Amino acid sequence: MGKKILIVDDSESIREVVSFTLENAGHEVLKGVDGEDALQYLDGSNLDLIITDLHMPNMDGIEFIKSVRKIDEYQFVPILFLTTESQTAKKMEAKDAGATGWIIKPFIPEKLLAAINKVVR
Amino acid sequence: MEKFREKFIEEANDLINELEKLLLDIEGNQDNPDLIQQIFRVMHSLKGGSSMFGFNKMDKFTHHLENIYDLIRNKKLKINEEILDITLASVDHLRNLVHEGEDADTQNQEQHDLLLSKILQLIDENVVIDETSPTIQETDSRDIEDEATYYISFKPHANIFKFGTNPLYLIDELCEIGPTKVFVRTDELPEFDTINNTECHLYWDIFLVTNLGINTIGEVFIFADEQCDLSIHKISDINLLEEESFLGIIDETIKNQKEIDINQLKQLTNDLEKVFVKAQEDQTKQTINFSTIDANISSIRVSSEKLDNLINWVSELVTIQARLSLFAQETETNGLTPISEEVEKISRRLRDDVFSIRLIPIENMITRFQRLVRELSQELNKDVVFKTEGTETELDKNIIEALADPLLHIIRNSLDHGIETTDERQINGKPKRATILLKAFYSGTNVIIQISDDGKGIDPEKIRNQAILKGIITSDSELNKKDTFDLLFQPGFSTTQKVTKVSGRGVGMDVVKRKIAEIRGEVDIDSEINEGTTITIRLPLTLSIIDGLLVQIGTTKFVIPLSSVYKCYEFKHETLANSINNLIRTDNQEIAYLNLRELFEIEGDAPETEHVVAVQFGDTRIGLSVDNIIGQYQAVLKPLGKLYKKQQTISGATILGDGTVALVMDSNKLINQFANNQIKVGG
Amino acid sequence: MEKEEIETIETLDDVNTFLSFKLKDEYFATNVSKVLTILEMKPITKVPNSPTYMRGVINLRGNVLPVIDMRIKFGMPATEFTTATCIIVLNVEIEEENVQLGIIADAVDEVLEIKESEIEESPSIGTKYKNEFIQGMYKLKDGFIMLLNMNLIFNTDDLIITKEIEEAEAAQALKDE
Repeated sequence: MGKKILIVDDSESIREVVSFTLENAGHEVLKGVDGEDALQYLDGSNLDLIITDLHMPNMDGIEFIKSVRKIDEYQFVPILFLTTESQTAKKMEAKDAGATGWIIKPFIPEKLLAAINKVVR
Repeated sequence: MEKFREKFIEEANDLINELEKLLLDIEGNQDNPDLIQQIFRVMHSLKGGSSMFGFNKMDKFTHHLENIYDLIRNKKLKINEEILDITLASVDHLRNLVHEGEDADTQNQEQHDLLLSKILQLIDENVVIDETSPTIQETDSRDIEDEATYYISFKPHANIFKFGTNPLYLIDELCEIGPTKVFVRTDELPEFDTINNTECHLYWDIFLVTNLGINTIGEVFIFADEQCDLSIHKISDINLLEEESFLGIIDETIKNQKEIDINQLKQLTNDLEKVFVKAQEDQTKQTINFSTIDANISSIRVSSEKLDNLINWVSELVTIQARLSLFAQETETNGLTPISEEVEKISRRLRDDVFSIRLIPIENMITRFQRLVRELSQELNKDVVFKTEGTETELDKNIIEALADPLLHIIRNSLDHGIETTDERQINGKPKRATILLKAFYSGTNVIIQISDDGKGIDPEKIRNQAILKGIITSDSELNKKDTFDLLFQPGFSTTQKVTKVSGRGVGMDVVKRKIAEIRGEVDIDSEINEGTTITIRLPLTLSIIDGLLVQIGTTKFVIPLSSVYKCYEFKHETLANSINNLIRTDNQEIAYLNLRELFEIEGDAPETEHVVAVQFGDTRIGLSVDNIIGQYQAVLKPLGKLYKKQQTISGATILGDGTVALVMDSNKLINQFANNQIKVGG
Repeated sequence: MEKEEIETIETLDDVNTFLSFKLKDEYFATNVSKVLTILEMKPITKVPNSPTYMRGVINLRGNVLPVIDMRIKFGMPATEFTTATCIIVLNVEIEEENVQLGIIADAVDEVLEIKESEIEESPSIGTKYKNEFIQGMYKLKDGFIMLLNMNLIFNTDDLIITKEIEEAEAAQALKDE
């Protein structure tokens, strides 16, 4: 069943890879370039899932996750963040901020879909 | 992934440019935490992207660089000259890596290894990086073992929903691993009327049979491990779920709401327990200070072709809007005029915005100059600082690209031939540190870019002599300073005897002049011995829709760019005709004026009342006489074409609303050409 | 027909299509491939300080088209415009660029199919120049048409052209006597 997914990352190439993979799997994808930009997509969008990078200009991933959780509509939406292997401290912070799970960079499309499958069904 | 690779290459180049700029910025601002954070972020993005798209060398390389800057931002390492040098060298190397892909030729490989060892040295000499790998095994491979039965006690914390986790999904996932028996426990549910539906008070006992091993089971819960109490026990090496007796006991226990007794379970089997305990991750919680959000302007890439198309459409819109305005004026239909005025307003705004897209601040090309100065001054052992003023001045993208080389050359020349060594400077009572200043500003319908240094200047005598030697001028020709300096633009001209590695023999000013002429610009040199040299480049603004003043002389209509227009005056033809030396009095001042009808050789007589449009010309104002002033007009500039290539005073034409052609004047060139003639001749 | 066969047939006797027009009393023609369109005479905006033969510019479908008075370029005296006067819009190659321009003609005559074999070489008695601008002459019952090579005409100084046309006319006149 196709879900509505928001991908937030300041890297255009990452956004494109993710949306390509997800769209091929039958999902609808919205794209944001950083936290601030992405927040505008939340109003009344009924997103099923949010995927966000952590290091972005204007509003980083942690701030963004916190902001999302403050919105009533999105208190319980699954949020996955993109992280690299060595970022254990960041991971803690993101989880504390309310993230559901993570995807490790670099990732192949299959891994992306597997992670999503864990949190939206 | 291929097409994404292309995109990433574009992105990587941008990131590398950004990095370079940040590194140069940080030189004077070493303690700025913002800058460090930004540098770190750029490195991080580069690393992330390169690993995603197959740039393994770059991945490893940036990984180490990232580490250095991680140390720096955590204040475990202080940034210094050496680090900056290595990082800047790395920037160049990164560019190569991106450009050449992963197959390195030997030169690249050597450079790669060299830099890498330098970087690693920096890291080794300092604190050991806190790179703890998570102890939760995130294994890919599903270990195929023998079938075994597991008991999973899954108790989500009350706030688990707030992490976006749905416990049911986790249970679903478990069921996918093998046959399961799931028991939900409701004994901890609060009273019905106090239930908070955002909290989870259920918990589960799950029995699962699988041959995929205990790690696979653990994987299901990796996201949620801190949001629940979890324990996984292997309770048998056989599939207990097929054993009636087992099922019976379990059912009973649950029915009686008794806790599942592990010991009791164990009694059913002969195996030792294998407890999967959640290991504590090494939590080095560092508070990372994310200082102020940087004021990056988010941007998108647009293909030049799309932009050109957009500009064409806007131009056509403006043209047809002129026809609409004319039509509205002529037909007296009610309601049409306000609509046409609204259309005019909007199309003007649209025009302004779209045209400004092609304009980029000069700022963008400054980075390469900074690097040039930095590296050359080191190489030549001179102390030079590069300053800029007015870098927010905007120019069309194409022009900026065309200017890059000439400007580099000018700066190279200045560094090589203009700036003296610190000793020489001291002897001459100058400050040890020399300055090269790049200044940009608008002037009328031009953009001026000036590069000046406080070096030893150019000796006009030397030039004169060289020119005589080369036969460019004869020994008896008298040239003023400006003309003497203009000689430098002659091909093959050079005043230095020695060839330097840096800028050759100082030749190339002829190439510079030619390149600038190609973008319809002009260049001049001025200099004072021992004080310095200034090179001034004048470029026309190339907007193709301009705001103009529509005027008429005879039957021909002209457009004067509004940006040059100061004021308009009415004059009786008699007054103008009787003026002495073409001077007229306006606003208590005398200004010179040009009789355009005469200069343009337009037939017919001037009307009784004429108009004079005063335009800005450098520091002064000159009047231009016309018959009528029709009004303001948005002119879409159309070129006159190859046949009018030599035409200077008319820079283009525009199609009016009624389909006739109006000619667009270049007031500066006009005045330059005619001022001398007419004023000498005398009205 | 096979392509090769067609080519063979054509080389036997190339037929070219020309548009002939009048400048004062003389007839000239240009290869039809160069002609874009023919316009009625309309007001021309003179660009100041430009050579006399460059009459000015007009608006052609939103673009600026330069208009040239061929008579002046050929050294003939200019005459008044009549109702028959028109502007022939040409596409010529100048310095390896395609340029659109208009020429004023006193009248447009007709379209002619002229075989390669029917084109006579313009006599070159006493001319220093190789008659490049004149592709050849075509005999009509009561005169001749000068076939012009438009590309070359606009690529060069008008002085040379004037001379050349004068001499060609003179030479032809001689021949006809």
